Amino acid sequence: MKYALKRIFMLVLTMVIVSFLTFLAFELISGDPAEAMLGTEATPERLAALREELGLNRPFLVRYASWLAGFVSGDLGVSLRYRQPVWDLIAPKLEITLCLCLASFVLITAVSIPLAIWSYRWTGTVFEAVRTAFNQLCMAVPPFFTGILMTYLFGIVLRLFVPGDFPDLHTRFGEAMVHLFFAAVCLGIPRTAMTVRMMRSTVISEMQKAYVRTAISRGNDRHAVLTRHVLKNSLTSAITFLGQTMAELIGGSVVVEQVFGIPGLGRLLVYSISTRDYPVVQTVVVILAFWVVLAGTLADLINQQVDPRLRLGGAA
Amino acid sequence: MKKKILAVILVLGMLTALLAGCGGKSETPEKRAEANAIAIGIAQDLDDSLDPHVAVAAGTKEVMFNVFEGLVKPTSDGNLVPAVASDVSVEDGGLTYVFTLRQGVKFHNGKTVEMQDVLFSIRRCAGMLDDGSEPLMPALTVISDIQGEGDKLTITLSEPNLEFLAYMTLAILPADYDQQATAPVGTGPFKFVSRTAQDSVVLERFDDYWGTPAKLQKVTFKIIEEDSGLVRGLQSGALDLVSHMTSTQISQLDKNAFHVEEGSMNLVQALYLNNSAPPFDNVLVRQALCYAIDKQGIIDMAFDGYGIPLGTSMFPSFAKYYDDSLTDFYPHDVAKAKELLRQAGYPDGFEMTITVPSNYQPHVDTAQVIVEQLKEVGVTATIVPVEWSSWLSDVYGKSEFQSTITGLTSDNMTARKLLERFNTQAGNNFTKYDSAEYDALFAKAISAADDAEQTAIYRQMERQLTENAANVYIQDMADLVVVRNGVQGLTFYPLYVLDVSTLYWDK
Amino acid sequence: MKKKTINGYLLVGLIITGVLLLTALVGTFYTPFDPNAMNAAEKFQAPTLTHIFGTDNFGRDIFSRVIKGSGTTMAIALATVAIGAVLGTLIGAVTGYFGGVVDEALMRLNDALTAFPSILLALLVISIVGPGNKYNVVLALGIVFIPSFARVTRTAFAGLRDVNYITSARLMGAKNGRIMLLHMLPNTARVLLPAITIGFNNAVLAEASMSFLGIGVTPPDASLGYLLSEAQDKLSRAPWYALCTGGVIALLVFGAGLIGEGLQKMDREVA
Repeated sequence: MKYALKRIFMLVLTMVIVSFLTFLAFELISGDPAEAMLGTEATPERLAALREELGLNRPFLVRYASWLAGFVSGDLGVSLRYRQPVWDLIAPKLEITLCLCLASFVLITAVSIPLAIWSYRWTGTVFEAVRTAFNQLCMAVPPFFTGILMTYLFGIVLRLFVPGDFPDLHTRFGEAMVHLFFAAVCLGIPRTAMTVRMMRSTVISEMQKAYVRTAISRGNDRHAVLTRHVLKNSLTSAITFLGQTMAELIGGSVVVEQVFGIPGLGRLLVYSISTRDYPVVQTVVVILAFWVVLAGTLADLINQQVDPRLRLGGAA
Repeated sequence: MKKKILAVILVLGMLTALLAGCGGKSETPEKRAEANAIAIGIAQDLDDSLDPHVAVAAGTKEVMFNVFEGLVKPTSDGNLVPAVASDVSVEDGGLTYVFTLRQGVKFHNGKTVEMQDVLFSIRRCAGMLDDGSEPLMPALTVISDIQGEGDKLTITLSEPNLEFLAYMTLAILPADYDQQATAPVGTGPFKFVSRTAQDSVVLERFDDYWGTPAKLQKVTFKIIEEDSGLVRGLQSGALDLVSHMTSTQISQLDKNAFHVEEGSMNLVQALYLNNSAPPFDNVLVRQALCYAIDKQGIIDMAFDGYGIPLGTSMFPSFAKYYDDSLTDFYPHDVAKAKELLRQAGYPDGFEMTITVPSNYQPHVDTAQVIVEQLKEVGVTATIVPVEWSSWLSDVYGKSEFQSTITGLTSDNMTARKLLERFNTQAGNNFTKYDSAEYDALFAKAISAADDAEQTAIYRQMERQLTENAANVYIQDMADLVVVRNGVQGLTFYPLYVLDVSTLYWDK
Repeated sequence: MKKKTINGYLLVGLIITGVLLLTALVGTFYTPFDPNAMNAAEKFQAPTLTHIFGTDNFGRDIFSRVIKGSGTTMAIALATVAIGAVLGTLIGAVTGYFGGVVDEALMRLNDALTAFPSILLALLVISIVGPGNKYNVVLALGIVFIPSFARVTRTAFAGLRDVNYITSARLMGAKNGRIMLLHMLPNTARVLLPAITIGFNNAVLAEASMSFLGIGVTPPDASLGYLLSEAQDKLSRAPWYALCTGGVIALLVFGAGLIGEGLQKMDREVA
């Protein structure tokens, strides 16, 4: 209970910090919403009128406080650009991006963990060199490049999905999932390679520890030692890493959403930043903070189940 | 273990196949042709208020042109024809305008257009509503009185204004409707159905339209911000028409499936100079730059030869005002440029920056060519790419720049819109052009009593800009529209609009 | 037998990186063509013996541009990783070693920074240093990379905190700073090295994404990322453009990755 309270407090704190930092950033960067909205039609009079209308003339802290008060009471505000309630704008995109990130996360986990263990067994063979090279290669190719190649191959040549036409998630769920599947693969490739690499080195360093040597020298089967002890002990760092992966997937989704033409949260965020639509940016950023803390918390909770030492308020 | 992984991969593969199979086949051009629908790719989201009196983004106006109409509306050859009004007469040498309302024009919500709606729309733009709001169109403050009786609308101006009719293209909106910003209602050939941010805007034919009905039933504008996404959208069959494409993008498409129609963008692309700060406060330096920069060279290098070179702030579509002799006023002449620089006190050239909005590749490309051309005369130019919002704030708003590349347009059919900004009184004179002679000409032009005289003064102003080398004018960029074979009826306007009411599938 | 494979990674990695580094160095003095010189008659030429990577939409020699660009990219990536790794390790070490309130506070800030959009951060840095400044890319990216390094180091330090030899050192009266620097840091190399190579990889790619958004380096001077973003909308017109620049990016990251792999192996061998 105490733990839960602490976590919730941390969550709220992170969200407040990040929302404040974002607000501050908007105060400091050049270009304000009124200028962005009026574009080349701007005249000093029209700018003044619009700033007044949007309440941009109020002092910085007053604006932040009023935004925060609104947010706490469930009023996320109205998008300056689309003149639509922020939540109506974000909700459908959040859904899509969540699907994309979760699909990618499942793929990463499902592929990387077995692959890491499997590849360990190749240690010292020719395959190891090939695998290492391949793994490095997967990390080395930029995602938007993979994305373009994939849309070309699967979209235009094989016609498994239609780039530029993302199907509605509710009415054409199957098609939307196919579209998302390819994007998730593209998003997941470098991350999978990193996870494999990271897990492998943990397994290797674990295997060098005294207890493993002892176990093996006592005649235990290498494989059994690996799965029964080593894996369990290297799982905590893998889980931490996967938690971090989950947190960072949303950030990485921006480019992939753009290449695959998916109307998701990442694209909305980038766009809203460039148009200085700060009510939208604020909400997205708070959602991201929530996501990051949630991923970290989940990783910690699972780790505590796996490694009882951590329950005593240790490292994690 | 190997088997397990193999199994995982197999399951994933099967899942994909299953998903691909169970999802119904998506939209294809054939299906759209059958349903009399079309999908158009646009790079710019309609991220604006959809209220036509409030919206400012060119991209929004381009699309919503199909939803709204004014008392009069522009035609593709640059004239104005009656729309919501059936007849117009100009009296007292441009002091009084009398409109007769057309009978039975309907709004998209089914209501008939009444005099009160027209009065509301005009008063709202002119700032004459009782709520004390600012005029949405400052040019309409010339209205001194507005009267509606029966179907006759009489507008009296405080001084004669020959261009007034062009402003009467302002959209007629229902007086008692407050959802314009998100669910607009107008009288145009298409009605607004939906907008999904960063995804699509859907329009449908309005069956009670008073005029020639549109041929298509449904038009979907798909928003694809990424350049290569538009190309892939065309290739994959997701799109049927995309305008404002580059020749490089077009060269990637299948010539048997698409054809290209060429119009012009109707904008003045130029290297705009900050006339108030050294070195560009010196007319000799500005002229030297004009000689140093080879417009045709830019068009050939960065635009594969598509584009019309310009010599002043006016483009050919405004035929009445356009003076072609100014285009070659400064022929490409490196020796002359060097000589002028020497006279100006820069025998070894100088360093300068070109601020470019980075979201628009053609301007960035133009800047790269200019940098190379300026090297020949000893001027070292550096490109400073900035984000669009920063450009608006720092360059356009605060004039904190040395030189910049952009394209300026006019959203109505008046020369005034293009020329007013170089007058020192103008709030949007971001180049800080400062010429008493020009200001005097402008004052004379707007109060001119007859059309011929006004046109002559406007042409004089254009010449003045060229002679003083206010900016280095480059071109009116070509508007290359890629159209899927089978789609017909594309019309170009001298404005930045895309008329979808004339499009149809030729089956 | 085992030793041979170890040196293999390192050797291949060093050769690749060395060749690229050398080419980039030479490129600062000499390139086959002027990387920015345009030629209307030679637009979009497929690779030939004169232009081994072909030419771009301005008829510029892609090979020369790639050489110049790889220098810029390497400089940016190294500087970025340096900032991120030094500051991140510092933060991670302190928080991991001491724990408690400092740990909590810094980790909250760290979470906030992870959630904070990197584009917004980049814009912020640009507003402060001014646009058109090459260093803003480095600074912005460097800050973006702090949290990931901090997290990795923190976990490692926290894990070592109560290990016997550290406790002994503390009991012997060693200063905290000394313990962290001399006893703990070398032992975290195992996690830090891969983090650095991954970081280098990410920095190259992040620089590319920033160029993609138009807030990276200034044209016509190119970085590899900028070149790739320029190439990508010309993919079916000039596939060699994207393939050559993408290939060099991949090679660069690949070489760095192999070095990391090799170092790690060597470290294991010593241990």
